[in-house]
Amino acid sequence: MTRPGPAHATGSDLLVLHALRCMGFTSLARVAEAAGLPEPEAESELIDLAVAGLVTKVAGEFGGWGLTEAGRAADARRIADELDAAGTRTVVAAAFEAFLVLNPELLDLCGAWQLRSAGGVVTANDHTDSAYDARVLDRLADLDRRAEAALADLSAAMLRFRRYRVRLGGALARARSGELDFVADSTASYHAVWFQLHEDLLATLGIPR
Amino acid sequence: MSWIHPLAAEVREPVGVLGGKAHGLVVLRRLGLPVPPGFVIGTGACHAVLRDGRLPHGLDGELAAAVAGLEAATGRRLGGTERPLVVSVRSGGAVSMPGMMTTILNVGITAEAADALAAETGDRRFALDARQRLLSSFAAATAAPVPDDALGQLRLAVGTVLASWGSPRATTYRELHAIPHDLGTAVTVQAMAFGNRDQRSGTGVAFSRNPNTGEPVPFGEVLFGCQGDDVVSGRSRTRPLHDLAGRGPAVWAGLLEALRRVEARYRDACSLEFTFEAGELWLLQVRSGGLAGTAAVRVAADLADEGLIGRHQALLRVAPEQLRQLHILHIAETAEADVLARGLGASPGVASGRLAATADRAARLAADGPVILVRPETSPMDLHGLAAAAGVVTARGGPASHAAVVARAMGKPAVVGVAGLTVDAAGAAIRAGGRTVPEGARITIDGSTGAVVAGSPRLAPAAADPHLGRLLEWADEVSGDTSERSEAERLGAAQAELRRR
Repeated sequence: MTRPGPAHATGSDLLVLHALRCMGFTSLARVAEAAGLPEPEAESELIDLAVAGLVTKVAGEFGGWGLTEAGRAADARRIADELDAAGTRTVVAAAFEAFLVLNPELLDLCGAWQLRSAGGVVTANDHTDSAYDARVLDRLADLDRRAEAALADLSAAMLRFRRYRVRLGGALARARSGELDFVADSTASYHAVWFQLHEDLLATLGIPR
Repeated sequence: MSWIHPLAAEVREPVGVLGGKAHGLVVLRRLGLPVPPGFVIGTGACHAVLRDGRLPHGLDGELAAAVAGLEAATGRRLGGTERPLVVSVRSGGAVSMPGMMTTILNVGITAEAADALAAETGDRRFALDARQRLLSSFAAATAAPVPDDALGQLRLAVGTVLASWGSPRATTYRELHAIPHDLGTAVTVQAMAFGNRDQRSGTGVAFSRNPNTGEPVPFGEVLFGCQGDDVVSGRSRTRPLHDLAGRGPAVWAGLLEALRRVEARYRDACSLEFTFEAGELWLLQVRSGGLAGTAAVRVAADLADEGLIGRHQALLRVAPEQLRQLHILHIAETAEADVLARGLGASPGVASGRLAATADRAARLAADGPVILVRPETSPMDLHGLAAAAGVVTARGGPASHAAVVARAMGKPAVVGVAGLTVDAAGAAIRAGGRTVPEGARITIDGSTGAVVAGSPRLAPAAADPHLGRLLEWADEVSGDTSERSEAERLGAAQAELRRR
């Protein structure tokens, strides 16, 4: 299904608010990266949102920016309003259905990336067998192609979902260039971005996890 | 017949044709054990589909003939308006690919057959529930409309199971496990045994020996009044296998006899999936071996002592890698140990870490140190969290639940079936024994005793494992080397010597 008309563009303040909704507590750098905004702009939005009581900054090792209860409620309302205004509920629901078909396979791949079976014992993948790692990455690349096709209509309808394509493609490319953390381990890994997309689809459709 | 083979004692086709599941069922028939009547469509049909893109000529005729044979054997008619024949249609290749392919139960329950089943059992709700399960498993597996003629349903089910061999997820699984793509799956069609028929019915998994410890005592779990995959999913509250001794003595006796026979045949610890309908036992699958850690060591040593295998065979049964994973520490349950809850120990060992109430949270928290994943139950969706966690606790499920199986495979401690435990993922906390424990709090679990303890309790000193000691003595005799080496090296040296001979 191809939706006629221009893609819906989300405002910067909602982009930042919603990025936090899908990520939990996190750093300015990661919010900016997820929202696709320069850090100063993201920070400026965060400060405005904090003044409005929608986000808060917690100090300490496990601190960072996060939503307040009011922020969570505001995000749910505004994201639902956006969906109605843009008339994209059907396309998001179809994308979510396609996502759920691919999701178990992605989790299989993350499992296979982290674990290997040897002598009947499953152990951590120590990444010394490059042929095995290449097999996993080839299948991940194949899944990524299918994911891109499955989510094409969604990206065409709502600009903010295009960001996932950029981030997923980036994580895959870094993993293939030898940065092994970018499959399932780092906070910018394929799995981490994929999980945020899952959370985003649920939040956008108002489905509780 | 060339595509289809009966599930009968005299069938001689190899596992590559019958698939592991049907091959095991034929072995059970040879042992004189109760297997629901049925037939298997060999992997040849799948090869034809892979080659030609459609079902082979002649399969349809053979299918009709096989159904007629099954009708004669059961005294039932597929789609019949009296005593309807209802079948299960299951995948199963030569190499196990758990959870990757489709199974469809209750095939043949058309609207009319549902009426007939209601009349026969005097239980309309049971019949409608069985039909609903059929419709939902078709809906989950295929976009095709479900025909309301029973043979049409069977054809669709067979086609769906065969097609599931080529699903992207199954393809990925084969790539990752180096399983050739051209092996193909067989399709097993059997008369249904209804574990959900009444309270004298049920389903379960029975192990000939305790899969956690290797102790030579039947072990497992049973679910009364339930059908099919409820046990494996860990979704329902199971009872210890031994409950059958009181509630279904004939089923219990039949199971004990079956466990004895399959152990003697496979010369290894075995497990049986079973269903009983109105007090009658049916065996649905047999598996042998597959134990890890302490249990693998003990079973190998015990089987040698019992004369079922030789000592040299026993040495070859245990992978040296498994010795590196042996866990022998326990939580010292002294007065100061703050026990939060108790469940079933499902994978031995002690693990301590920060509590995570979702798999994703576990994956993230694990970057900062060990994590204990606590879930209502787990599914393949939680695999990344299980991989990241040092140990796992589930409120539901038994020793064959997903969490237990995966934890054992990974050599991680697991406690399952913790009564009174609730997981509040949204609130990032768990509740047990009237207390709330937030995510990030340190807890410790003992996968042998089933204890879940707050904080980092004292651990009891490791006791030497007498079974391991015995096995390693035999290993030194074989290698002729008694120098100071690791346990894995001692076993490895013996295996190298045995393989050279």
